[in-house]
Amino acid sequence: MRSGAKPTSLTANLGRLRLGRYSGIFLIVALVVIFGSWIPQTFLTATTVQAIAQNEAITIIVSLSLMAALAAGVFDLSIGQNVGLGAVVCISLVSTYHWNPVAACVATILMCGAIGGLNALLIVVVGIDSFIATLGVGSALLAAAEFLTNDQFVGPTPASFQIFAEWQPLGIPVLIIYALVLALAAWYVLEHTPVGRRLYATGANADAARLAGIATKRYVVGALILTGLGVGVAAVLLSAEIGSVSAQVGNSYLLAPFAACFLAATQIKPGRYNVGGLLVALFLLGIGVKGLSLVTGAVWIPDLFNGVALILAVGLAVILQRRTQRRSKRQAISAEIGGSNPME
Amino acid sequence: MVIEQLLARDVSMYFAGQRALDQVDLTLRRGEVHALLGANGSGKSTLIKVLAGYHNPEPGAEVTIAGEPLAFGSARSSHLAGLRFIHQDLGLIDTLDVTENLKLGGSYGQTWWLSHRKERTEARAMLRKYGLEIDPGMPVAALSAAQKSMIAIIRAVEDGLANEGVLVLDEPTASLPPEEVHQLMDLLKALKAQGVTILYVTHRLAEVFTIADRVTVLRDGQRVATEAIGAVDADGLVELILGKKLEKREESSRSDTWNPVLVADRVSGENVVDFSFTGHSGEILGITGLVGSGYESILGLVYGSLMRDSGNVTILGKQIAAGSPRLAIRSGISYSPADRRRLGAFLGWSVRENLTIPKLNYARITQRLSQRAESAEARDWIARLDIRPNRAEAVLSDLSGGNQQKVVIARMLRCQPAALLLDEPTVGVDAGAKSAIYSELRDAASDGATVIVSSSDVEELAELCDRVLVVAEGSPIRELVGRQSPVDIARISLNYNERAG
Repeated sequence: MRSGAKPTSLTANLGRLRLGRYSGIFLIVALVVIFGSWIPQTFLTATTVQAIAQNEAITIIVSLSLMAALAAGVFDLSIGQNVGLGAVVCISLVSTYHWNPVAACVATILMCGAIGGLNALLIVVVGIDSFIATLGVGSALLAAAEFLTNDQFVGPTPASFQIFAEWQPLGIPVLIIYALVLALAAWYVLEHTPVGRRLYATGANADAARLAGIATKRYVVGALILTGLGVGVAAVLLSAEIGSVSAQVGNSYLLAPFAACFLAATQIKPGRYNVGGLLVALFLLGIGVKGLSLVTGAVWIPDLFNGVALILAVGLAVILQRRTQRRSKRQAISAEIGGSNPME
Repeated sequence: MVIEQLLARDVSMYFAGQRALDQVDLTLRRGEVHALLGANGSGKSTLIKVLAGYHNPEPGAEVTIAGEPLAFGSARSSHLAGLRFIHQDLGLIDTLDVTENLKLGGSYGQTWWLSHRKERTEARAMLRKYGLEIDPGMPVAALSAAQKSMIAIIRAVEDGLANEGVLVLDEPTASLPPEEVHQLMDLLKALKAQGVTILYVTHRLAEVFTIADRVTVLRDGQRVATEAIGAVDADGLVELILGKKLEKREESSRSDTWNPVLVADRVSGENVVDFSFTGHSGEILGITGLVGSGYESILGLVYGSLMRDSGNVTILGKQIAAGSPRLAIRSGISYSPADRRRLGAFLGWSVRENLTIPKLNYARITQRLSQRAESAEARDWIARLDIRPNRAEAVLSDLSGGNQQKVVIARMLRCQPAALLLDEPTVGVDAGAKSAIYSELRDAASDGATVIVSSSDVEELAELCDRVLVVAEGSPIRELVGRQSPVDIARISLNYNERAG
């Protein structure tokens, strides 16, 4: 499968960075110490902790969803706009069409899953490179959201709908609880079940996986649909959390999940998109963004921080890849004189 | 007048301390076709690469082209000296037409206005000169393999080669279908008639006798002989290539008491036409042939890694669907591809994960996989095949080629297959690992499995196999029953295509 080639080499090289499996955790500690001593009265507060947890919850769920696609070796660049369209649809159904909130949520999740199915159709059946197919789908989804909202904000949703995102048992935002429960489930499936092992195998080397008896196409299709469904859950929770959205809300759920997933492949279990690494990466990004925002108050901090982190991680991986290629070329030349068979 | 068109003296080359070429001499007379023969690793390609300016030989080497010394290590100076190379990759652009491809060789320097019609007329005349009836407006992608080779050769000859240079052909027929080989031979004869000097690198002895005037044989980096073609026969050349005397062996009688396990019936697909064979319980069957004969794809077609166009495969009487490794594994077939790094294993994964992936132990798909049980199992296999380092969590890419292949073999055996199919099982494998792998394969056969090895390594086939099928043009042409000598196997596969030449 062609579409598998890019993310495969990428993860392998992210793993080869050997940044240290726990370097992310050390960085988190360092950031806490820096911001804690720089702006103790604003940073070291329960409000800040709650805010970071609350901010990261939706991103965690989107990133976990993305991880399913990446683990299977395909990119899904439509996640951001899929969240956006999902939120627009969910809020419209509840506030404009007065649907029962549960029905609206189920409908939204199914719609997002169906978009994952559309991606799968384009990538696996038609055979378009996943990068291109999902980029196109994402653009179409943004157009759909703009069409539905007519360039207005939709919402607000009734308080009865918002309640299940605002609940804070023991002062812990319930969103982060949802996110961590989903993370636990994803960790179990990916790292401890046959499904997860085969999904990783598909992403690591689709051809070898097929020869090892894995129905790779099914796993890619399943992974893309799962990504859609997970994104649907994120869209529903986002609707409940903020109550009124514009069509552009999805823009902030593309770069951060990708940055987090790529960083995740350098942490805890290097070389593999893993849930532990993802949580480390997301909290690292979240704390960095929050701390810098508190220091400067600038609105461009999150975009800059996510972008720079992404470029650093992937850029180092590319440089490393070049070095390994050069080395293997040299090995190939010296291997040429080995072996002995008279009739190749 | 200089009659030595190319004179090479004392060409030596070392890679990582290993000798690839040892003071090789080579003389090409003006206007002759000189064949260069040798086994893989004999130094043929290294010598060609030295001439092409790709490698820098050890000091002391000297090459002259028509009396002029050649500066080493520069592709440009080789080109200016009049050397033209046709490699397996012809360097044609598939999407352009014949005229445009021919013109890529020459220069566009004269005019700033490119007249397409004029170019086509010139191209047509050029093709006629060599007796080719090819429409110069055809896209190269639409040409046959032989036609493509001929276009590349004509382009090289027309591009300033004339009679001053040397045309070097590096296995030009390796990727040609046998029925097209004679077209290329006709062109080469035409070039020879015009006095072009040709260095012809090949594995195929029949072609040597068709076209060459003299032949040089390399073995282990040394020139072992240069002979006029009338002074040697095919057996003599095989002896020179392998460095061994031919011994006649008696073919033992076929054992009909074996039970058939795997039956392939008229399988067709990539390079393979109506290929039938039977693998018996307890038997190690070898399949060999030249590149392109189909020996390298038959096992993939049987297993399902390659899609077969037609034909049936049954194992123990049960039919296996085409193109599905998953179903093949379930029916009791294990396969290891020739390209281990790309297809055979997960290099970034641990030995444990590589061992267990084709057959994970679970009752329900959502069940927890026990890492402890997997590790225990992996340790057993590591001990049994003496895999080093002996850690279940060692990453596969950190293992040597031989140890990686042991992991692949262990992975196959773990599935307890009724049929083991192996493509080139010991490529890049050291001698120690080789003998461990052979003994595992023999054990598997004596336990009742059928083992089928497709290999180009005649020593391997001779050591391992009870029976060998020699493949040509997509199907078996000879069956050698009983233990064979490597030389016999080599002679039969090298000589098959006398009628094609």
